[in-house]
Amino acid sequence: MKIRQHIRSVAIAAALMTSATVASAQDKEPIRFGFCFDLSKSYTFITPQLAQGAQDLAMYVNDNGGIEGHPVEIIVRDHGNEPQRGVECYEQLKRDGVFAYYFASTPVTNAALPRLMKDGNILMQSFVGRGDAVDGEVFEWVFPIGPTYWQQSANDIAFIKDQMGGDLSNAKIGFLYLDYPFGQEPIEVLKVLSEKEGFDLQLYPVPLPGTDQSGAWSKIRRDKPDYVISWVWAGAHVVASKEMRRNRFPTDRYLSVNWLNEVDLRNIGAEEAKGILRGTNVAGGQDIPIIRTLLDTYYANGKGSGPEILTQDVYYNMGVALQAAAHEAARLGIQQHGSPLTAESMKAGYESLVDFDADGLMAPITITPSDHGGGGKTRVEQWDGETWVPLTDWSADYLEEVWDVIRESSSKFSLE
Amino acid sequence: MFYRLSGVYHTSYASDSRIFKVPADRNLAVFFLLFGLAAPFIVPSIYLNSYMLPWLIWTAAALGLNLVTGWAGQLHLGYAAVMAVGAYSAVHAARFGVPWEFALIIGGLASSVIGSLFAFAALRVKGLYLALTTLAMQFIMDWVLHHSPTVTGGSHASLQSPTLALLGQPITSDAGFYYVAFGWCVLVTIFMLNLKRTGLGRALVAVREKDYAAAILGVNSFYYKILAFAASSFIAGVSGALLVATFFFLATPEQFSVAVSIQALAMVIVGGLGSIIGSYFGVALILLVPGVINNLVAAIAHTLGAQVNVETLAHIPNAAYGALIVIILLIEPLGLGKLYGNIREYLMVWPFDQFRK
Repeated sequence: MKIRQHIRSVAIAAALMTSATVASAQDKEPIRFGFCFDLSKSYTFITPQLAQGAQDLAMYVNDNGGIEGHPVEIIVRDHGNEPQRGVECYEQLKRDGVFAYYFASTPVTNAALPRLMKDGNILMQSFVGRGDAVDGEVFEWVFPIGPTYWQQSANDIAFIKDQMGGDLSNAKIGFLYLDYPFGQEPIEVLKVLSEKEGFDLQLYPVPLPGTDQSGAWSKIRRDKPDYVISWVWAGAHVVASKEMRRNRFPTDRYLSVNWLNEVDLRNIGAEEAKGILRGTNVAGGQDIPIIRTLLDTYYANGKGSGPEILTQDVYYNMGVALQAAAHEAARLGIQQHGSPLTAESMKAGYESLVDFDADGLMAPITITPSDHGGGGKTRVEQWDGETWVPLTDWSADYLEEVWDVIRESSSKFSLE
Repeated sequence: MFYRLSGVYHTSYASDSRIFKVPADRNLAVFFLLFGLAAPFIVPSIYLNSYMLPWLIWTAAALGLNLVTGWAGQLHLGYAAVMAVGAYSAVHAARFGVPWEFALIIGGLASSVIGSLFAFAALRVKGLYLALTTLAMQFIMDWVLHHSPTVTGGSHASLQSPTLALLGQPITSDAGFYYVAFGWCVLVTIFMLNLKRTGLGRALVAVREKDYAAAILGVNSFYYKILAFAASSFIAGVSGALLVATFFFLATPEQFSVAVSIQALAMVIVGGLGSIIGSYFGVALILLVPGVINNLVAAIAHTLGAQVNVETLAHIPNAAYGALIVIILLIEPLGLGKLYGNIREYLMVWPFDQFRK
């Protein structure tokens, strides 16, 4: 008899408690982000840092009252860079109430894009997927914050032009790239610019995964380009650096895509890497207010979302920056359209971001309904043996030429 | 007891060559057929469109690979390339305005032509050499796809597929896509079931066991090898096209990369060479289990409230999945199909084991 009473009172208490939590959760519905990442196959040199940065920022936001009172939840899942599993991850999380996704893998992003566009969910696709998705008029739901590879390469050309005294008509620029869509993408814009500025463009394809570059570099030695723009990543930079030394190509004429991180630098050797140039839209290093705050609040007490070594990586900063932009979009969305946040209001929030730079962490972005990339500003930094020294201010050039290419490509997309 | 044999005896060749000789097998098949038909009404949509649909299409594809590898004994490491040919041809045809019914057939035929080219290599080399030749074909196809923007759809290499429409009906719902996949898988399965008991199937097996012995028996191995490659490529092509039309909605080269070829071969080997039911199991294991284990591990970590690093969380399922494949192949080297066969054989006379001959 007594036991039964006990059970009943416990059951009633439990029921009361659940209803109470439901009531409080209703006005403070968490904002969920779905990160379907490749954490086990091809992109593992980027994704852990990205996820950790985003998680740390979410933790910090939650500890400080959330976004307008809403806690942030980041759901990280592995898809092993398989399109099929990426789609499965999307379909699963969609049913769990997630409406903002980041896939961090081009094959998976492409596979999920038609579904996201149809369902009207936010796709954060910085640095992955199709470059023409910055055209917000066609790709309403896609937000590739940061430069496209087209804009980034155009900015690189502008930097070289500046370095060479404002005239490229006698210049010879080499383009070293991994011979698949990632590396091939900038070629179109480079060709357009080469016609406009009159420089001689030389292409040096290297086969995946970029470990064999000897053929390309002996051609570079013969051609003697003024600068080599390099569209390779991870270990391929280390190989390129060895080849540069062997072929006596000056390191400070090697301008890398944004995918060159501290691990690559360590592998090249801090001294050997002296002079290397990198285009980036995120400030590297730890002397940035928000990164300092995260390090002091969590890592100093051993409470970070992952190993501290990963925080010393520019991709960690990138993860924080992209998440910061997403949080700001969510905040603006709630302010404008009230809670709970929906995909529509978050889209409106994104589109009202003006000169947002996450307190000096990233290039200022201004997103409009037609430009979902935020302006595509980057800067060129140089490694001086200890730290990255910015050589230019955040800027974006040749906008007209790049947008011609973007519109030409996006006009072919139609959602059936 | 479950597979009752009493009353099953054959008095004519026709009855002896029936597809299902044991009534229980037929009943099981009918049950699953009915289940498959009813699935959109009873299976939650998440399982329907992101598990069952790719599973059925890949099973059809794996059966095609089983035809050339399991039946005709020709190791094929370039199967995804053949699927790519079908997918791209069909999508281009559909974009050009050809009705989907014909676009799918065009895709299948284009795959047949390219796939038969592989067969010419198969006529000269065997075993590992053939594996390498087909692997080379895969790399050539990868290279071609990465370097022909006109085929793959511009510098981003993603080609949108027009809305699938069959018999004048545009198909847009999850259930519609599922039925297309289901129909195709059933069609291929029926073809394979019948292949087993026809002269063609026996000729292929003869070629597999020893091609010159087959030649002595009057089986033209040249002809049958080409036939096997052409038929399997046709299935590959249509499956590839359907995968794009009903699941991805756009084609990219990564969907048909060398890794996918190896996965396809793994499906067939883990499932069991020359086993139809094994192909179903093999595809489920290779294609679906990684995702399932991944969700399971994530759910366990979530309920335990464990603060597990995201990377560790991603690698645990991979380790478990790898171990699972090794364990299965250790228990039964002939694959999951044989494993099922063992169970069936055991139950055939259970509980009267002593009556087993």
